[in-house]
Amino acid sequence: MSQYASLLIALPLISAFFVPIIKAIGKKVVMPFLVLITAIQMGMATWVFNEVYTTGKPIIIMAGGFRPPVGINLYIGHFAALFVLIIAVASFFMAIFSMKAITVEPKDKYAMLSLLLMLGATGMISTGDIFNLFVFMEITAISAYALTAYNKSGEASEAAMKYIVLGGIGSSFFLVGIALIYGSLGTLNMAQIAQLAGQMNPTVAQAALAMLVFGLGVEAELFPLNAWAPDAYQAAPHPVTAMFSAFVVKAGLYALARILYLTHAVGSWGHILRLLIILGTLTVVIGEFSALRQTNVKRMFAYSSISQVGFIAVGFALGTQAGVSASIFHMVNHAIVKALMFMAVGYVALELGGVTLEDFKGLGKVMPLTAFAITVGAISIIGIPLFNVFWSKIQLILAAMKAGKSGVIALILGASLVEAVYYIRLIHLMWFEEGSRERTRIKENFVFGTIMLLLVALIIIIGVAPNMTWNIVQKASADIYNVAQYIKNVPLLPGVSP
Amino acid sequence: MVMKRALAILTLLIIGYWMASALANVPFGADKMLVAQYYLNHVKAQTGAVNAVTAVVVNYRGFDTLGEVTVLFIASTGVAALLWRKKRERTAETEGSIVLTTGARLLFAFIVLFGAYIFIHGHLTPGGGFPGGATIATAFLMLYLAFSAYEIPHRSFEVTEGLAGMGYVAVGLIGLAIGSYFLFDWIWQTWGWGHSNIGRLFSAGFIPVIYTIIGIKVGTELSGIVDSMVKEGGE
Amino acid sequence: MNIGVYYFGAISLMLIGLYAILVKKNLLKILVGLSIMETGVNLLLISIGYIAGRSAPILSEGIGPNQAVDPIPQALVLTAIVIGVATTALALTVAINLYETYKTLNIEELRRLRG
Repeated sequence: MSQYASLLIALPLISAFFVPIIKAIGKKVVMPFLVLITAIQMGMATWVFNEVYTTGKPIIIMAGGFRPPVGINLYIGHFAALFVLIIAVASFFMAIFSMKAITVEPKDKYAMLSLLLMLGATGMISTGDIFNLFVFMEITAISAYALTAYNKSGEASEAAMKYIVLGGIGSSFFLVGIALIYGSLGTLNMAQIAQLAGQMNPTVAQAALAMLVFGLGVEAELFPLNAWAPDAYQAAPHPVTAMFSAFVVKAGLYALARILYLTHAVGSWGHILRLLIILGTLTVVIGEFSALRQTNVKRMFAYSSISQVGFIAVGFALGTQAGVSASIFHMVNHAIVKALMFMAVGYVALELGGVTLEDFKGLGKVMPLTAFAITVGAISIIGIPLFNVFWSKIQLILAAMKAGKSGVIALILGASLVEAVYYIRLIHLMWFEEGSRERTRIKENFVFGTIMLLLVALIIIIGVAPNMTWNIVQKASADIYNVAQYIKNVPLLPGVSP
Repeated sequence: MVMKRALAILTLLIIGYWMASALANVPFGADKMLVAQYYLNHVKAQTGAVNAVTAVVVNYRGFDTLGEVTVLFIASTGVAALLWRKKRERTAETEGSIVLTTGARLLFAFIVLFGAYIFIHGHLTPGGGFPGGATIATAFLMLYLAFSAYEIPHRSFEVTEGLAGMGYVAVGLIGLAIGSYFLFDWIWQTWGWGHSNIGRLFSAGFIPVIYTIIGIKVGTELSGIVDSMVKEGGE
Repeated sequence: MNIGVYYFGAISLMLIGLYAILVKKNLLKILVGLSIMETGVNLLLISIGYIAGRSAPILSEGIGPNQAVDPIPQALVLTAIVIGVATTALALTVAINLYETYKTLNIEELRRLRG
């Protein structure tokens, strides 16, 4: 029965291939089809989530019926089950949003690409084979390139070009890392790599891991490989930006954390952690100070998103279970908040035609519901109690304290202060300043309003009662941190070992 | 400018030295196989393919290949999406020379045949769906070069592409239904067809089936990319 | 440090590609650099799978399981090549769009035109 979870991969794929045929039947059906498929995906993801969390056992999918390490396996453990669900829900919401927000032709191609973006991220999070991870990463990246350039404007093309060049360098580095690991261990299965990691020559291991970190750094938006991100976030269609922030970057971060903890037995592990902590800190600092200077609100949110990613990377780089838990909690919270904020800002752009600070003056009177959603998101990101991000920031600080890294605490507090400056400025602008132009109140779309209110409710529910989510998150973090258990869970074929 | 170049070269040399010092510990030409030795020992019995690379590509690492097909599909979709204009047409002004046009007419069928040969024999000889499909696409590229007004029938190519992709996933899903694993080789392992035929054409389970699907898909996809890139859009 | 001619060639190709990406001004040259770099990586993968004195992993005509080289890197390179083709196709498309908008492929000009 559990093998049917492979439909999580098969369904988006077969549906994407089906779109050209749907288009031949009728062009109008394409976007509703996208919504339908993401809804089914969401249903399946819910089933898988329920299955994994009630039995407490991961679902291992063996492609072709070959046991790992001979065949490729998917490992849907606590972490993957949680994030597959998040990906599916975010895709579903954005599919609904796309029905209005995508105005540029050809929409059928947009539907295919966004299905494949969802597929790629799902695969990245659930695969148990390092080369298969590369393939899914490329699926995600290449559909992301195409979606970034989808609007066909000069900015979009330029952003996509930056993304492609950086992504190309990153994937080459990643492949070199894989080559080094394969050359020294003779296997590509992640569980077996973890099992044998201690035997690797420290020089090779250090080079391989550094290559892998740099390769994933493009998708995970780590400085200095994130130069593409602000441009791409700004130029991509609005639902795509929300998907980038909600799950594409998360898939990259997950891959980073997974590979890092699988190889914790190698001799030079400490160096890699130090490298990651430096990269993460620089990401936060540069992200926050750039956000401060932006006049385009979408770009400002993009920089804010990047600096949150830096927090998550720093949390993973602490090397403790508390750090991993805090980071995953932050990933969940950030996915909710940024899905909400990018959707809201996209909706504003759709209605008012622009998203500069000037356009946001007096938004509270023109689009009160949207302004309210943005306000809740902003307050939450700053880290004010009773909102969800507060708890993950607290956990990050506690984890840093336990690990004895006082610099990280200072980083989080300082960054929150900067966030407070630009977000409170935005909130002030929306509610207490008059727009220069006379504008009447816009009737806000009922469906979009419902989605935004749902997300707002989630933010507040997690903020008021964080324990339930925290329990789930802790199970997910044990999935990454407890490598011995991971190896035990994968039914490695006996006899294929050195 | 000179400074920038010198800096770039210096950085690159450092990276190069660093990679080389790591690779020095992965001896060239030594036997480092672990999983691969298992493949070589069992490939004939488990998949029926003589070409171990094909068996790895289609059977053991089938998920990768499915992903690979997807990547190419994304590329053709992406190219078509980004070059979409209200009206697009060919702007070539001169027809190809007589040698080219006659040659194209004459060779077209043979090139397609050769491409089909490559992907049908993927389990026996080097090659397979991707090179075979690429060969077929060159036949269409040749038509584009030879005839200034030639166009592939996009609509049907697009549909064929989609159907081929669905076919691949469907073969995997039949495996899920029959053998209870996604991408399970039901033709070889459940039905047991061709076990006495190893090393001949009718063997190797679903490999020829999948390679045929991939060949058709890659052929139509690459032709589609050529078509999108050759045409120019008016406003 | 003994790395052999194949590793040396692979690393050199990667560095040449990276050099083009870092230094060249023309977008097409940068993309060519990207392709060269990918070729270097593919060569590296293939040479890691080589085992001295063995032949191609096609197990017919007297080639036994102990006389063939490693088939996995060859399968991986097949995948990597296809992915490289896809990236290049998309990159060239974006370059076409850029050229149609700005009428130049020089990255400094592009930066200036965008302001």
